[in-house]
Amino acid sequence: MTAHVTPPQRRKFLFTMLGGLGALIGAASAWPVFRFLAPSDTGGGSDQVSVPRADVAVGKAHFFQFRSKPAVILQPSPGDFIALSAVCTHLGCVVAWQEQAGEFLCPCHGGRFSAQGLVLGGPPPKPLESFVVELDGDQLKIG
Amino acid sequence: MQPIKMLVDFFDVRLGVRDLYDRELKGYLLPRNVNVWYTLGAVVLSLFSLQIVTGIFLLMYYVPDSEKAFASVQYIVNEVPFGWLFRMLHAIGANVIMIALLLHMLSVLFMGSYKGRREFTWLSGFIILNLTMGLCLTGYLLPWSQLSFWATTVATDAAGAIPVIGDYLVEFLRGGPTVGNQTLGRFFALHVVGMPLILIGLIGAHLFCVKRRGISPPPFGPDYRTTDELPFFEHEKHAGGIPFFPNYFVKDAAIICFFMAFLLAIIFYAPGMFFPESAFQPADPFLTPPHIKPEWYFLWAYQTLKIFPSEIVGLGVQAAFMTFLALLPFIDRGPERRPSKRPLFMTCYVLIILAFVAISVWGHYS
Amino acid sequence: MSRSLCYLFVVVMVACWSMPAQLLAADSVCIQCHSGQAGALAAPVADWRTSVHAENGISCNDCHGGDPTDFGMAMAPESGFLGAPDYADVPAFCGRCHVGVADAYQAGAHGEAIEEGGAQCVVCHGNHAIQKASLDLINEENCSQCHSYERAALIRSSLVETDTLATKVEHDLDRLYRLGLNVEDMQGRLFNQRNSFHRIFHGVDVERVRQETSGVQSKLGEISNEVAAIDSTLEQRKLWGSVVIGLFVLVGVIFLLVRKTYEEEEKG
Repeated sequence: MTAHVTPPQRRKFLFTMLGGLGALIGAASAWPVFRFLAPSDTGGGSDQVSVPRADVAVGKAHFFQFRSKPAVILQPSPGDFIALSAVCTHLGCVVAWQEQAGEFLCPCHGGRFSAQGLVLGGPPPKPLESFVVELDGDQLKIG
Repeated sequence: MQPIKMLVDFFDVRLGVRDLYDRELKGYLLPRNVNVWYTLGAVVLSLFSLQIVTGIFLLMYYVPDSEKAFASVQYIVNEVPFGWLFRMLHAIGANVIMIALLLHMLSVLFMGSYKGRREFTWLSGFIILNLTMGLCLTGYLLPWSQLSFWATTVATDAAGAIPVIGDYLVEFLRGGPTVGNQTLGRFFALHVVGMPLILIGLIGAHLFCVKRRGISPPPFGPDYRTTDELPFFEHEKHAGGIPFFPNYFVKDAAIICFFMAFLLAIIFYAPGMFFPESAFQPADPFLTPPHIKPEWYFLWAYQTLKIFPSEIVGLGVQAAFMTFLALLPFIDRGPERRPSKRPLFMTCYVLIILAFVAISVWGHYS
Repeated sequence: MSRSLCYLFVVVMVACWSMPAQLLAADSVCIQCHSGQAGALAAPVADWRTSVHAENGISCNDCHGGDPTDFGMAMAPESGFLGAPDYADVPAFCGRCHVGVADAYQAGAHGEAIEEGGAQCVVCHGNHAIQKASLDLINEENCSQCHSYERAALIRSSLVETDTLATKVEHDLDRLYRLGLNVEDMQGRLFNQRNSFHRIFHGVDVERVRQETSGVQSKLGEISNEVAAIDSTLEQRKLWGSVVIGLFVLVGVIFLLVRKTYEEEEKG
């Protein structure tokens, strides 16, 4: 003998299930909203890089990573520090520093840049991006 | 139940919420033969709400400047936790809204719900459709990708076909001779504030008209009655009908859930569906990518313009059709709503749908 | 004077009738004149049109010098015209732009053997119909003209391995790019690794190539690992997404079941 379940009884059961599942969906929606709005751990904005002054001799260039891309810092004349992106503006190869000529040469298609990053010849359309450099004691701070 | 009763009592003695519930929700009776198509209004309403919520979240990080817009969207998608989710909900949600809106309009046409002195409902709905297309158009530019830039260039160019004022109109739309930062500024203002405000007002008007006149019953079954055009106002009651809340509301909720599942399925299983490659390249005013096309819901307009040798004729044809559609309740005045008894209307209905589909497909492949 | 005028007329007529309008606007005088010539003098034009140089807007004067806008000065030494280089001068000729490759080449066995007829750029890459360099250039026919294929085969197999890996990484990055992810940094690193590797092997030094191979492959492996990490994140997202989709469908179905209970009551 089966007991006849009335619509209201069935409804009550279904609403209970709905409540549970609804809570799950609610949580699944609330979590991304919370994470989206919550402040992040990374300071945000401070991506400064420090390079020891001793690494950058006069007339020489030191290559390093800045904002996860190749960059270069050089000292063409004593006390004068310049930080540039080392990514050639033509097709993206990494430029090489020609100590003798005092300029950058891109090995891919011969693009040339001055020590300040200006285009001297070849296919590059724009100068090398430059970054702010500050001398802080014996550390060079870029960015 | 005691705490709940106490809570309801608190509001009831101040605002009469029980009476409100009895009249507007439980007492709001729908025709017995109401069908699933009647849920589409609620679907569209929820999707619009989703757009507003996700839009607000995106606004927290988006920068409406041509130099920074693309990078800000990249930041949202790559760096902000779940930024990708809100972006996708918003972008793909826009497409799902268009689908739901079109289905809603098609069902209204099929059931002749615009008849029986419901012209204002139809008119407000039609303007909502156009406003939604405007929201889609303005929103499309904001990511400042190659797709954004060039689709907007093509779309605003169309206005140039209008004689005399055409060229000035194009510049007026763009805020300048070409699409640029000034275009982004005005499109952003319209998309975020201007159009949403008007939209909310129109939706309010639309819902007011629906409730004031009463639900138009489906023209099927033995209970069908011809809607007489009375020379005085009458609210169409449905005595002995089913309560909107909770009886029909749960059906609304079910279809909303299915549409949400559909939206999420596209986001997780076919995320590239509405994102061609040019959507990921930053805008370059000097390089037009090949095969730039507007989004699918604009392909009919795009292809129509291409068919007609004269652009102004193409525009004119579209304008004529849209005007006809807007004024439909004033043109189709017959009281008959049963589809089987409206052969002329049904023939045009089917042919026009087929024509739209065909022309859109053609537009896609041309 | 009248002879060059005749040539001019013929060339202009031929140009008008044989070239599509848009090419006419961009063609240098070099192309205009040489395309109207006969035999070997005209061949470079058609060859060049199929080349990767043409695709990238590198025209006759970019290599040969001269003035591309003036018929009279086109081949004048005063306007920097260099003519066609001698066999042994080719590496320096191409090396004016392809600096890195030329340096690696000149330091290697081929570069040192050039006076004795050692292979130079044009021998493998062609001159006017140059295509984007591919692995197929290293084959038995090309590389056994002076010595046995054995050494070339070793270098080729090293290259094949690395190139296969690089191509796979490239496809993966393309796939992620199409999903909207920011892969610019990884694409840059892949590009640099590929470049330095292709450059090095021009020195045709098997040992050097082997050394570089392991270095490049490990760097590519790093990128591959990053891609794998991203992919697993994407898989996770998909999983959670599927769960939520399932929940919505379930909730929808339950709402429909609730509706059914109301329908039973409505029927009375």
